[in-house]
Amino acid sequence: MTEAIPTIAEAARLIAERRLSPVELTRACLGRVHALDEQLHAFVHLTEERALTEARAAEAAIMAHGPRGPLHGISIGLKDIVDTKGIPTTCQSKLLQDNIPDADATCAEKLAAAGTVLLGKTTTHEFADGGPSFDLPAPPARNPWNTYHFTAGSSSGTGAGVAAGLILGGIGTDTGGSIRGPAALCGIAGIKPTYGLVSRAGVAPAAFSLDHIGPMAWTAEDCALMLQALAGHDPRDPASASRPVPDYTAQLGSGIKGLRIGVIHHFHETDHKVSEGTQRGITAAIATFRDLGAEMREVQLSPLQDWLACGSLISITERAAAYEEWARTRLGDFSERVRSRLMLGALVSGVDYVQAVRRRRELRAELQSAMKGLDVVLTATQPAEAAKIDAVPKWDLFAAPNFTMPFNVTGYPAISVCAGFGAGDLPVAIQLVAKPFQEPTLLRVADAFEKATPFRDRRPALVAA
Amino acid sequence: MPELKDEALEFLLARSGLHLTDEQKAELMTVYPGIAEMAERVRKPRGHMAELAHVYDFSEEDLT
Repeated sequence: MTEAIPTIAEAARLIAERRLSPVELTRACLGRVHALDEQLHAFVHLTEERALTEARAAEAAIMAHGPRGPLHGISIGLKDIVDTKGIPTTCQSKLLQDNIPDADATCAEKLAAAGTVLLGKTTTHEFADGGPSFDLPAPPARNPWNTYHFTAGSSSGTGAGVAAGLILGGIGTDTGGSIRGPAALCGIAGIKPTYGLVSRAGVAPAAFSLDHIGPMAWTAEDCALMLQALAGHDPRDPASASRPVPDYTAQLGSGIKGLRIGVIHHFHETDHKVSEGTQRGITAAIATFRDLGAEMREVQLSPLQDWLACGSLISITERAAAYEEWARTRLGDFSERVRSRLMLGALVSGVDYVQAVRRRRELRAELQSAMKGLDVVLTATQPAEAAKIDAVPKWDLFAAPNFTMPFNVTGYPAISVCAGFGAGDLPVAIQLVAKPFQEPTLLRVADAFEKATPFRDRRPALVAA
Repeated sequence: MPELKDEALEFLLARSGLHLTDEQKAELMTVYPGIAEMAERVRKPRGHMAELAHVYDFSEEDLT
């Protein structure tokens, strides 16, 4: 791992051995924020003084009693649609510029209880739209691997911040790929957990039945450490699952010999053919899994376009319903992209929506059946390396189907991990998907892949400079 | 899916309570085929008994 920027696991070990102080760690992260965030725009609101106060408190507590867990003293960021008590939560919208919540979202509360140090609120596109948008109160985040390029959205600030070491981990949200997309293009790990595993309470909705909250970090192991603190039933979230929380790190390092991995070749080879660099990453990943002893099989599902149609109709309608009041009275205060998405709600009938939700049931049954006898499935996360930030079409929704929406439609857990570097020396990624609540297996496979490949040894050149 | 006429769009927007500029309406007309294609794509011969993905259920609070 890069010497200057520890992973969460490495920092936790050093903190537990009292070889790294949370204050030193926080200062190092803040130093990178001051050096790089003018270029990256990963933060919309920095909580520097509060972070140093929290770090000093963590240091004192650890010196007295030892760390309360692996996140104690770890620097994090929260996407700016996550409510934070006493700290502005603007959702990057003119509509909420003065919004200071009087309570934390459950995920913020849980990470605080685990002892994390909050460095600030990370950049998103308005109300977690995919972006990029250039007419928001703050500029869009830039990709640390090349700042002329897009991070993907909407958890763009968390993606850029983790890749550049401004934070060691952070919260993203994912309605159609907003954790996994930025994770892929920024060359980090990001997991969209099973629907209902992590509470959505206190997080601004994009589409209620597709919204997921999850961790983004440099490695799958770090995602596991964060997920441990985040998972669990919450009565404040009506979709929260009531299930015991397993140990997400217990299976890490146990190898993947004998595990069965299905590859959905047609998603990335036919339905939406990926770039050469991405295909090289996927092909090499399949070879790596085979070398590690996994059994590779082929999986056939409905065309990617079917999954996108189902997810998009649900997303458009649920978003239009959630923001209808403002759309009717303050449409001009939304950014151009979100305004356009809200307008689409007028074109989807109630019957269209219900047909989409009936289709959703069929698609979930299809994935369930396809995964019988398999532990995980694999496909692309993104179709290509990051595009230039000013070259992303406004109506990308209709341009080509994305690879992430199928697992918002089904609610199955999915993780993106770095699979190498392609055109322009920009990161490429693979997406791994497990059965509901099988995050321990998913993280085990992702962790084994990262440890068998050299891609975690390299940070963006701008960080080294 | 039938073509979207100006009058129909005006009705849908009024029904939705959205006030758009002529430019925004024109843009919406251009993307309507994409929505119509998606709406066709989710329709399958599934019969009248096929259920939704979302099933309403009762929480512990309802039962106590």
